[in-house]
Amino acid sequence: MLFRIDAKPNRLTALTLSWFLFVSGIALYFYTSHNRHLENPEDKVIPSLQQLTTGMTDAFLKPDTEEAAPEGLENASLGRKFLTSMLWTDTLASAKRFVWSMLLLIPAVVLGLHMGMFPIFGQFFLRFILFFDKIIALSVLPILFIAFGIDELAKIMLIVIGVTPTIILDTFNLTKGVPQEQIVKGFTLGAQDFVVTYSIVLKQIMPRVLNSIRLNLKAVMLFLFAGEMIASQDGLAFRIALLRRHMGMNVIIPYVLWVALLLFLVDLTMRVANKKLHPWFREA
Amino acid sequence: MKDIIRLENIGVTYSNKKVLEHLDLTIREGEFVAVCGQTGCGKSTMLRLILGAEKPTTGRVLIDGRELPRPDRHRGYVPQKYSLFPDKTVLDNITFGPETEEFGLIGRLKPGFRRRRKEFQAQAYEYLKHMGLQASDAHKYPDELSGGMQQRVAIAQALIMKPQILLMDEAFSALDPGTRSEMQKLVRTLWKETGTTFLFVTHNIPEAIFLGSRVVILGKDSPESSSKVQVDMELPEEAHSREEVERLTRVIGNATAGAKLELTYAE
Repeated sequence: MLFRIDAKPNRLTALTLSWFLFVSGIALYFYTSHNRHLENPEDKVIPSLQQLTTGMTDAFLKPDTEEAAPEGLENASLGRKFLTSMLWTDTLASAKRFVWSMLLLIPAVVLGLHMGMFPIFGQFFLRFILFFDKIIALSVLPILFIAFGIDELAKIMLIVIGVTPTIILDTFNLTKGVPQEQIVKGFTLGAQDFVVTYSIVLKQIMPRVLNSIRLNLKAVMLFLFAGEMIASQDGLAFRIALLRRHMGMNVIIPYVLWVALLLFLVDLTMRVANKKLHPWFREA
Repeated sequence: MKDIIRLENIGVTYSNKKVLEHLDLTIREGEFVAVCGQTGCGKSTMLRLILGAEKPTTGRVLIDGRELPRPDRHRGYVPQKYSLFPDKTVLDNITFGPETEEFGLIGRLKPGFRRRRKEFQAQAYEYLKHMGLQASDAHKYPDELSGGMQQRVAIAQALIMKPQILLMDEAFSALDPGTRSEMQKLVRTLWKETGTTFLFVTHNIPEAIFLGSRVVILGKDSPESSSKVQVDMELPEEAHSREEVERLTRVIGNATAGAKLELTYAE
């Protein structure tokens, strides 16, 4: 049954199977944590539920420092406490960089589109981008910090160098994949080059471009985290790196799960938006 | 009738392989030319040359006396596959041409666009009706339509531009026999109604005979040689009955196999 290609698990089996590893993972974690705490009640490597709760309360409801706490916070609502919390401040700092990086992917899509549509444009850029794509972004991190300093620009440039070549080349390939008949058809319907490029080709490849960006979200976050861990005063990765020095696993673990949740939500939003914006698109 | 398409001494070579050589053909305005031939004989290449989507290695293609460098709104095109824009509804596919021609890429922001769009949509509904489609199909996407319906929309999309020439490349090859037969009748009716010059490429001899007011057959004398015009004949109206199509298919089949062409209608 397990290796039958035509197996059709019923709803309950499918649900059980899909949650099994989550539940097992959580159970294994608390089993190990419990055993370690029996040997050493102060163990910080695998925090207990109580330690995690304390860590989460500190991260989700308390500001980074006592000085950062506004007046009367003790009696404020949970919502207000969350909005002044360390986690929220770090999330906003990372989100700002993330949004900038995503915005910088728009020119990458436009460049890939033009490279695919206009042969002279393509000839000019393709070889260079292919080479650029092979550069390991993290290897140029020191150069970026020297060239741009340790401010925001260096971190955003790291993401740009890490992700944009992939998006440019993906868009280029998707553009090239549009059947020639569609382009010819466009001309026979009175369209000029830019109309064919934007009204026919871009519209057809857009859902796949969005999928490509979605699949690269993790890479964006990877470079964002690298930048923040090495040179930053705020942000989710900065906090994780800082807490590592103090063995603050009870905060690091909720932070890691929070980042995963945020990324999952961004991915889900993009998937839903893609479906709404392109109702004609059927994913392979 | 004036000459609308002239192919003069056309040669096409792909990576040292000659597909067409010394090809001369003149098509007069209002003719329905059905070009037939086996796979690889260069009939689609010939269509793409006329369309302006390809350039000949030698010779020249004149459309209404001029060499045109690329496809334009005067030459409508219905290919076998990818004939519609998948991201646009049936209505948007049909109105795409007139809207684009009048408003371009950013002209849609101009005042008056909405009013004109409504006029184009009204025209599109007329074409849909004429093609035997329902108004309720207007908001469907191409992949929600059958192959025959897609080709009907593709023809409407091309005809709304009122092209001088309509070029159809194996447009019905992927359709089932029943739908194919319906489409053939529809296309012949449209040709008579519009007076547009039609050029229809097919590998199916009966289809070419049924459709064309003139049938051109491309073929090779040997597998190594390039294609040339083997048969070029005009067909009168009475040649399009079922019996005559069958008889002419046999005659043309023999002629392309090397026998003498005995065609009573041409005399």
